[in-house]
Amino acid sequence: MKKLIIVMLALSLFVPAFAATEEKAAGPKEFMVYLDKNAKDNHFIPSGWMGDYGDIKMNDQAADKPHAGTSSIQFIYSAKKAQNQGWAGIYWQNPSNNWGNKKGGFDLTGMTKVTFWARGAKGGEILQKVMVGGIKGTYPDTVSVEMGPIELTADWKQYTINLVGKDLSYVNGGFGWTVTADLNPEGCTFYIDDIKYEADADLKPESKKQEDMPFYIYADRSTAKNHFIPSGWMGDYGDIKYDGSSKEDAYLGDTCIKIIYSGQGTQGARWAGIFWQNPANNWGNVDAGFDLSKTIKLTFWARGAKGGERIEEFKVGGIMGEFSDSDSATIGPVILNKEWTQYTIDLKGKDMSYIIGGFAWSTNVDNNPEGATFYLDEIKFE
Amino acid sequence: MLTTTRKALHSIWMKLNSNKNRIKTRDGSQLKAEPSPKKGQFTFGLRTVPEIKTTGYRLIWLVACSFLLVFILSNYNVKKGVYIQKLENKYYRLMVNGKPYIVKGVCYNPIPIGSNHEYDWWSDPNKPWIVDGKLMKQMGINTIRLYQTHENSNEVKQVIRDLYNLYGIRTLLGDWLGFWEYPCPFYGDKKFQDKVKKQVLEMVSLYKDEPGLLGWILGNENNYSCLGQVNPWSTPEVDLEPDPQKQKKMRAQIYYSFINDISKAVHKIDPDHPVGLGNGELIGLDSANQFCQDVDFVACIIYRGKTFGNLFRSLRMTFDKPILLAEFGADCYDAYLKKEDQNMQAFFLEQQWNQIYENLGDKKNGEGNCLGGTIFEWADEWWKHTQDSPDSWKEHDTGAGWSSGSYYFDIRAEKNMNMNEEWFGIVALSPELENGINKRIPRKAYYVLREFWKKPVIKKARNNKAK
Repeated sequence: MKKLIIVMLALSLFVPAFAATEEKAAGPKEFMVYLDKNAKDNHFIPSGWMGDYGDIKMNDQAADKPHAGTSSIQFIYSAKKAQNQGWAGIYWQNPSNNWGNKKGGFDLTGMTKVTFWARGAKGGEILQKVMVGGIKGTYPDTVSVEMGPIELTADWKQYTINLVGKDLSYVNGGFGWTVTADLNPEGCTFYIDDIKYEADADLKPESKKQEDMPFYIYADRSTAKNHFIPSGWMGDYGDIKYDGSSKEDAYLGDTCIKIIYSGQGTQGARWAGIFWQNPANNWGNVDAGFDLSKTIKLTFWARGAKGGERIEEFKVGGIMGEFSDSDSATIGPVILNKEWTQYTIDLKGKDMSYIIGGFAWSTNVDNNPEGATFYLDEIKFE
Repeated sequence: MLTTTRKALHSIWMKLNSNKNRIKTRDGSQLKAEPSPKKGQFTFGLRTVPEIKTTGYRLIWLVACSFLLVFILSNYNVKKGVYIQKLENKYYRLMVNGKPYIVKGVCYNPIPIGSNHEYDWWSDPNKPWIVDGKLMKQMGINTIRLYQTHENSNEVKQVIRDLYNLYGIRTLLGDWLGFWEYPCPFYGDKKFQDKVKKQVLEMVSLYKDEPGLLGWILGNENNYSCLGQVNPWSTPEVDLEPDPQKQKKMRAQIYYSFINDISKAVHKIDPDHPVGLGNGELIGLDSANQFCQDVDFVACIIYRGKTFGNLFRSLRMTFDKPILLAEFGADCYDAYLKKEDQNMQAFFLEQQWNQIYENLGDKKNGEGNCLGGTIFEWADEWWKHTQDSPDSWKEHDTGAGWSSGSYYFDIRAEKNMNMNEEWFGIVALSPELENGINKRIPRKAYYVLREFWKKPVIKKARNNKAK
């Protein structure tokens, strides 16, 4: 009996201690980015305004139909291109305005997803992308995940960013979004609420989804169907003018792309070109290729302003970096007609399982001494 | 073959007769073989072999003969020379005298500090290849690639022989195919073609019987001239074609048909060594598939950083020939941090060799079409960055000559110029002389690859950091 009492006593001492250890190991289930204005659980500050920051207005105590609590954050994007960028966005950072130059951030190991709620004022507003991590600098985030474009609905809807398997040991850019003038030419108003990290043990790693065809690079100015950003300006980039909203005789829809190449050799390269990338400015440093394995060709329509403009190369893939495109294919040189003409890059037999550089063109001053103006439309994988 | 058989039998006979013809039986007793010169003799022409009277002795004799028979039969069909074997699963292997051979090689051009590419190292009395060959052997290198032979064939033979006889290192010999001739290589001109072809066939005739020879490589990145990217050339017929895309195709047809013609001629003179098509990336190989089927392998020049990507599979789809990575590698100078970074070079090279091994003919999970590789390059060349300035050949220039995002550690260098031509060696050169030549200092990549080749464990790249 005495022994039994001793055992019971020992158990009464050890069991709570063991349970406490287990609870500690399990860690918290949630970690708030933003809950409500001045909520004590908020951990990040929406301080990282980017691009045309002058186009953004933020109301962080919008009482108009919050998803939960007393308020949500309202964003009004004017698309006026105040800084002449054509896009804008905000990062939630810790501490505020930390672009990787200060040690801050959080170790969020154990979290497996970010969830947030969003709605548009009317419905149809398009977020180009939402981000977790991705801030570089001296103290870079250990994670960089993006999702988008997202076409918002007029009602609140929850979105999830899968982080299973990601290194969350240092996160300064807790959450972010970007919009573009191309996707929202008249601007847009939208609301975000209840952004948080969650530890969901049942969530499986996100497998790379094979994109369905057709997969558009450019369909029209303001459509969520567009993928890849014409951000990779190469060579004499100062010689290029890009208009993604040209209404000069579009082949299909309202708009087409108009490109003016001056051939002045601004940077001394004597050639120039643009790569459409995912995400913008990704030269293989961000793991964000699309799986386009279902494609067999890329088609596009093109015409020259006068006819006779010579494009040295149209290209798919071929970006080489830490994360390289899985293949590449080219056609060219192509001498453009004055009339819209469809061109095809044959992708049969190509490995299109990982594509960061969706499309590119390049030309040079030797073959266009007076420069060249040309138009592109309906660029898509089929 | 018959001589070999006789010698083998003789050897066995001598062994049997040693120890005063005493042979231990299974029960431990000793028997003496009594050769009879008259009765029961086996005659093999070389000498007379006695009949063995005891059971144990006969058994041993029969076993020995069986082994010998198996040995003879297994060697009877061994094809001599160097050739490529296509396996039943359509994988490829390079074979040397009947045995699989993985090319573990380097591009070799031992230019001393202070000299440039015109330096005649072949006649260097200090014989740099002797020192280099020793280091190479210790590392596990079995092949060197020479881009072009020298006018003095005796000196070329000496290099090939020294490397082979002293270290077992074989040589791949190449020819530039007039790629650097002024003003451009006129591959569409019959006279130019004849001149180049003659030059190649002379090389083949001179060196085909060298035991240390592994094969031939025709050209390097000459295909880029068909695209008009480097040393552009044309013909009157091509110039008449208004569509520039068709012009490219026409030039490619001319060029690859010409290579095919040379390749066939080489095979006639030398059936014992394979012919490789030097090619920059896989560009133009759709045309090679049509017009250049007589080459034996593609000798690919490729700089894609840590991965060759879909290279092996893509080749299968476009031009189903085995591939030798004839020029690839990484420099060891961080153009962003402006300092030598041996870790960076070792990281890239180890990743690259991982992929080479993954795609060898005896590996299940790859494409099975890789024969190996020759790293660019064995030793640094200090003349390369500022080629017109002899003073700079004495300096180890840190300037970069080109840009590649695939070598991403230092891509943030000014204007993204991160490829440092003078820093590609897996051994560094010291101004200090040793044995009359610049002292060789192996870099980290040397040791990393040495260990990899000793025990090649193929692993997927998990992190992207050089350690």
